Amino acid sequence: MKVQDLMKSAVETIAPMESTKEAARKMHDLHIGSLPVVDNGQLVGIITDRDICVRVTATGRDAISTRVKEVMGNAVKTCYADIEIEAAAKLMIDHHVRRLVVLDRNEAISGFLSVDDLAKTSHELASQVLEATIPIH
Amino acid sequence: MKVSELMTSHVESITPSTNLRGAARKMKEMGVGALPVVEDGKVLGIITDRDLACFAIAMGHDLNSAPVSKIMTTQVVTCTPDQDIAAAAKLMASSHIRRLLVLNGDASLAGFFSVDDLVRGSHELAGAVLEAATPVH
Repeated sequence: MKVQDLMKSAVETIAPMESTKEAARKMHDLHIGSLPVVDNGQLVGIITDRDICVRVTATGRDAISTRVKEVMGNAVKTCYADIEIEAAAKLMIDHHVRRLVVLDRNEAISGFLSVDDLAKTSHELASQVLEATIPIH
Repeated sequence: MKVSELMTSHVESITPSTNLRGAARKMKEMGVGALPVVEDGKVLGIITDRDLACFAIAMGHDLNSAPVSKIMTTQVVTCTPDQDIAAAAKLMASSHIRRLLVLNGDASLAGFFSVDDLVRGSHELAGAVLEAATPVH
């Protein structure tokens, strides 16, 4: 099975200059926990609900004036859509992440793959990813 | 295998009157993603980093004054330490969640049991929980 058979194709993204309030609103409305950050068509990072909790809510920074780029994580991991899901799982395990932004061979964003998606086809693969990634209770 | 063998026992809690910023700071300091809300030894609800990031900011709550009681989840799904992990996993899956509060017989808080704890006991059960969980992406 390939990543493109399992991934979510409709990916919402956010620009680095957007406010974290806008990021929070988008995540809330779409029931998602992360947004790839795209600048002029280029993937530059990923912002998660945890980033917002820890770097905005906890610090008392104002969500409207704080930009996504100040809070996002730069180390977003990617994979190609045409690779096997076992290879994608290995990438997650090796990089200790539970999500990958999926690119087509032209380097354009084509989807999103999380450990939840893996679980739909392999409980074993998903669990291996869980064990390899830092647990937050 | 019993829940008690895998669960996280030493969990911090917060009071319902703690403000959202204080709750987020505690999560940041402890490196956790969820906190039980407890008053007079009784568990009133649960709050997650997602609630504090997306819900709180998207809804425009004043982080310094709004209490966690305003946004916590009160319908908490619980289990007991002596329950079998298969039964606990079934509870998580049917409620589409990834963590349970563990309560002692006297309803006092014993700890947390999340899919990250479960995975150390059974890859199959953990995968099934992820598959059933409300997608967070």
